[in-house]
Amino acid sequence: MTIIKKLALVVVSLSLVAVSSVSSAKPFSPKKPIELIIPAGQGGGADEIARLVQGVIEKNDYASKPVIPINKKGGSGGEAMTYVKKKAGDEHTLIITLNNVLTTPVNQPELGIDFFNDFTPLARLITDTFLVWIATEGKNTAGINTFDEFIDLAKGNGLVMGGTGSMSEDELLLGMMRGQFGFDAKYVPYDGGGAVAKGLVGGESDFTLNNPSEQMGFYQSGDSKALVMMTPERNPAFPEVPSSYELGYPDLEYYMMRAFMAPAGVDAEVEKYYTGLLHTVYHDDEFQTFNIDDGKLMSWLEGYGLKDFLAIEYAKHGEIIKNFD
Amino acid sequence: METFTLLLQGMATSFEFLNLGLLIFGCLIGLFVGAMPGLGSVNGVAILIPITFIVPPTAAIIFLAAVYYGAMYGGAISSVMLGIPGASTAVATVFDGRPLAVKGEAMTALTAAAVGSFVGGTVSVILFTLFAPPLAEVALRFNAPETFALMVMAFATFVGLGGDDIPKTIFSILIGLVLSTIGLDLITGKPRLIFFGIPGFLHGINFLVLAIGIYGIGEMLWTLEETKGKVQMSKLSVNMKEIGKAFSALKKTFMAMNIGSFLGFFVGILPAAGATPASLMSYGITKQLSRNSKEFGSGVPAGVVAPECANNSASTGSMLPMLTLGIPGSPTTAILLGGMILWGLTPGPLLFTQQPEFVWGLIGSLYIANFFTLVLNIALIPAFLMVLRIPFAILAPVIFVLCVTGGYAPTQSLHDVWLMLLFGFGGYMLRKLDYPVAPAVLSIVLGPLAEKAMRQSLILSDGSMGIFFDFSSKPIAATIMYIAIVLLIMPAIGPLYRKFFKKA
Repeated sequence: MTIIKKLALVVVSLSLVAVSSVSSAKPFSPKKPIELIIPAGQGGGADEIARLVQGVIEKNDYASKPVIPINKKGGSGGEAMTYVKKKAGDEHTLIITLNNVLTTPVNQPELGIDFFNDFTPLARLITDTFLVWIATEGKNTAGINTFDEFIDLAKGNGLVMGGTGSMSEDELLLGMMRGQFGFDAKYVPYDGGGAVAKGLVGGESDFTLNNPSEQMGFYQSGDSKALVMMTPERNPAFPEVPSSYELGYPDLEYYMMRAFMAPAGVDAEVEKYYTGLLHTVYHDDEFQTFNIDDGKLMSWLEGYGLKDFLAIEYAKHGEIIKNFD
Repeated sequence: METFTLLLQGMATSFEFLNLGLLIFGCLIGLFVGAMPGLGSVNGVAILIPITFIVPPTAAIIFLAAVYYGAMYGGAISSVMLGIPGASTAVATVFDGRPLAVKGEAMTALTAAAVGSFVGGTVSVILFTLFAPPLAEVALRFNAPETFALMVMAFATFVGLGGDDIPKTIFSILIGLVLSTIGLDLITGKPRLIFFGIPGFLHGINFLVLAIGIYGIGEMLWTLEETKGKVQMSKLSVNMKEIGKAFSALKKTFMAMNIGSFLGFFVGILPAAGATPASLMSYGITKQLSRNSKEFGSGVPAGVVAPECANNSASTGSMLPMLTLGIPGSPTTAILLGGMILWGLTPGPLLFTQQPEFVWGLIGSLYIANFFTLVLNIALIPAFLMVLRIPFAILAPVIFVLCVTGGYAPTQSLHDVWLMLLFGFGGYMLRKLDYPVAPAVLSIVLGPLAEKAMRQSLILSDGSMGIFFDFSSKPIAATIMYIAIVLLIMPAIGPLYRKFFKKA
């Protein structure tokens, strides 16, 4: 055997190895049911979207294995995040986000969660916005029709605000508004947006900062009205409610993100698979119709755009928390 | 009259082929999830929600409501037959259902549970049909101070729950309250009492983990010690005489049925309470008001009827705020509410006028679901009784396995299984020392509700306790509060009163 022949053999076998290693990196597909961790209780906004995503996937057979939502509501998302952190490298675990994934690592440093290194962000599907709501027949807010009138009223009187619990989005928002407009309110926490809406209409609180869907029933029945929406533009689901930009308060802008993340340390193929799956769900007609009717903003974001967005939001929330006490 | 027409239309809707099929199927699934420890109506409904996307909303809600309903019946089965609460809503059923079964009167216990559930369910759906709008208004006015007053009243009735040893009862209530504060501070959201920094404590102590531990494991240890493993369940035969005996035992439970049905419904329509507190409270109140309250806990049919009546009644009641106000009256309705939103409906004040077919289809189906579950239950009693023929040497490991899965299922964490075993052992020790354990179980359910309502009220009143006693601004809260105080001191002054009169 000549040297050339030997070399040729080596080249052939090396290329075989190369070919086989390429074929071993074939596209990922799930081998067992996918756990979808929800860092909140059953029946809340994140739970609703998680179960909608599950339903859309199941109904259309978008995935070869079922998706199983699991609620881990403890510790403002701390329990869920600790769980996913421990699952590093696991290819069958996902987590849906509330904004508590941005605040809990800061508020509870003892958990040791590193937001930027313990998770693999996949995609953002929806952003939900917030409005200032008052009861149509509120005992303290009677005759108030605009946001400016409301600010004047709130400055003079200690109004009561109903919210969804400590360090939740609406309490942070109250903190933000306190800085911007110089009024304070007594914050009473309830169990979830539905109970907050009921407390407002039942006369226990004077105003709330609820999501669109949380107040939708009472909005449609005329029991409560919105004064401002915290976005640059009006929302088609609430055509008569002005945006904060229109009213000249561009700093009053706030979103709740519904994004999905995988644990840290998963392969690029796994990341690609789940991002693709979420993309299919995002473009599903039923998914689109439901969210638009519910007043949510369809806002797909992935890759570097998502990473930038998360970094900005994380910093922004850190700032709000710092100014809070 | 219009209501009546709508109701008939609703019933006709539930007799459509698809709807009726789903209704019966739902009742059967409900019976199963209710009877399996750890799998309650919350899990059952949550698991089945995605399936409902393929049918119209009316069929979907009929199906899920039937599951919810069936689970209320099903929970009683394992409570009575195995002494493990099948679901949190059936914990109070163990108190008297289990002793009845041990006495050889399992037939009576199961019949009482089935009939009680039927009565509670039917009374509540009639109340629902006739008075939904005004009751929604009541729910809307029932805020934090009122809720706290109601919880104080519940605690007051429980002081009488543990027999005559009031200090031991109060000790047991306090243990339950301390356990209920583990996890997250309800107002500030900060973790508290996280022992050794174990993350499993972040979600608090699940009520079912405690109940399954104390009743399932504790009862097993107790039976093993008492009998040295040689358990002889009395032989049971199913014949007309036994059935007649079971039904005649129900004659004495009229008061329990009334309390269970009306109190259950009322607690059900209050936001965030639900069937578990309702069943525990109606057990406590029935016991307090009963002439033979000392016999409660040793196996009286009224002790089974009261909670079973109440949990069905409350589950119907909790649909009222869900439909009319868009707020859940119980954890299960929270999931149903999510489902309704996903089906494209907007729960709230306009739902009755915008979606009459959906609302009345649901209400009509509740009447029919009630009837079917009663028939199914009575028919299946002989099958359930077979469990008692299994030798204890085989049954004990089965109970153990069911307890472990039951402790694992609600949160899917092994941490809770260890806790459950610990509670089982602790409960057994408490029992040996003659401490009542039921009050601890009750206060872990009501503790968080009471704490939250109290702190919300005190934020509103700037820390003044006056908010609970002011007749002019909070008439409902004040009335309930004063009733609670009377109930609380009654066991203390009762004996004095009798002594005084005997002497005189």
